[in-house]
Amino acid sequence: MSHIHISVSDVSFGYEKGKPVLNHFSFEAGETESIGIIGSNGAGKSTLLKLMVGLHTDFSGSIRIEDMPVEKSMLMRIRERIGYVFQDADSQLFMTTVGEDVAFAPRNYGFSEEEVARRVKKALEETGISHLKDKQIYRLSGGEKKLVSIATVLSMTPDILLLDEPSVTLDPKNRRNLIRILNEFSHLKLIATHDLDMVLDTCKRCILICGGEIIKDGRTEEILTDRKLLEENGLELPLRYQVDCKS
Amino acid sequence: MSKMDTALREFLLLEEQAEEEKFINRVHPLSKLLVTVLYILLVVSFDKYDLAGLLGMVLYPLVLFIVFDISFVKCVRRTAVILPLLLFVGIWNPFFDRTPLLLWGTISISGGTLSFLTLLIKGIFTILAGYLLIATASIGKICAALRMLHVPQVMVTTVLFIYRYIAVLLREADCMTKAYALRAPKQKGVHCKVWGSLAGRLLLRSMDRAGEVYESMCLRGFDGSRRGACFAGVNAGKFAGRDFLWLFFFGSGIALLRIYPIFEMAGRFVIK
Repeated sequence: MSHIHISVSDVSFGYEKGKPVLNHFSFEAGETESIGIIGSNGAGKSTLLKLMVGLHTDFSGSIRIEDMPVEKSMLMRIRERIGYVFQDADSQLFMTTVGEDVAFAPRNYGFSEEEVARRVKKALEETGISHLKDKQIYRLSGGEKKLVSIATVLSMTPDILLLDEPSVTLDPKNRRNLIRILNEFSHLKLIATHDLDMVLDTCKRCILICGGEIIKDGRTEEILTDRKLLEENGLELPLRYQVDCKS
Repeated sequence: MSKMDTALREFLLLEEQAEEEKFINRVHPLSKLLVTVLYILLVVSFDKYDLAGLLGMVLYPLVLFIVFDISFVKCVRRTAVILPLLLFVGIWNPFFDRTPLLLWGTISISGGTLSFLTLLIKGIFTILAGYLLIATASIGKICAALRMLHVPQVMVTTVLFIYRYIAVLLREADCMTKAYALRAPKQKGVHCKVWGSLAGRLLLRSMDRAGEVYESMCLRGFDGSRRGACFAGVNAGKFAGRDFLWLFFFGSGIALLRIYPIFEMAGRFVIK
């Protein structure tokens, strides 16, 4: 078991000068935590995840993945340990078949063909899509593509999983499958999402952000039952609590 | 199905075809690449009036189409778009070179007509050879084979990305033209007034998407330079006896076709 954790300290970043997307952002994440990053559209959730894997390195402040600062010279080492699942699966999948795409990372990291095959098999089994191994990517449904996206990063056996809107495009059955996969992943995971019900099912800790700032960082149950807090920040109670309120 | 949709589908089907489990698909990409390059070089080496000799070169693609059951109809459908370009390149020859070279009954065939036909056939043969290569080996495997030939990494990466960009571009174009057609149901095609904005938007969208795909590759260990055994997630595999045999059989066959004009020889034999 790894002891990796993430430390984000006083990070500010913007795509345009004078328009910060993240503003003096700080938090720490322990090695086995499950953290939901929630906030309305444009709050800075996806940007935060992208900064952690070094897709943008021109931020102020510091981000450390265990002992490694997120800077250009460290990116290969950092990316070997972080699995990042894109919001749009079509951006993530580029090989011809599912098997090839899942094998892409282990092959690039120089594993033997036997090890690559073992990792592909395991990743496909974990996501419950072994039957799709030889299927062409473009023949997959939206939900299948999302599960394949997750398998492509699981084959790297990452120490940290970052997921950007993972439940988008999933039907209820696949969504339940996704929740199962996330709960079985025992390492640190950060999930940026609007699906507050999924956050309740997968994350013990929750960070509410708005306008690039942390509004509240605490227990998921506590934050997601605070109707006033959520509404003030452009969100609503999770569906299960809304139903409870009506009944 | 829209034209864009069809183009995208054909493109993806071609990739699918390259991954089939046929014998020809299992032959090492380096072997196929070398034979293809040799074939193209020999085809273009024919004199501009040597139509009879050039026609013999049809045997290589013909054998591959027949023996390995590759659909010729699909090939024609997918490559037909290039034909007008070939025609355009050679169409002026008959006007500039009117020297009579052949007599076919009472019809005199000029040097220009002959060179036009030769140019057209050279173009068709080289396109067929290229098609047969990409229809039987994925782009990743071809790139891996190029690296085995020590083609610079930067060139191979560029080839790979251009190929990938075609799919991205087609997909985005398909989305945009569908969105346009749904809001302009009475129009046939895209009105010329919006061509500019549509093309600009297409460029921006496809660049964004291509950027994301590249980011996804980088996040999974791709840096375009290292781990020589593997390129773009595809290993070209080991060069086996079968691959040597392929290289020898087709390489020498093509060379013989270049040396001996078999159709001309067969014609003379029949006349005798």
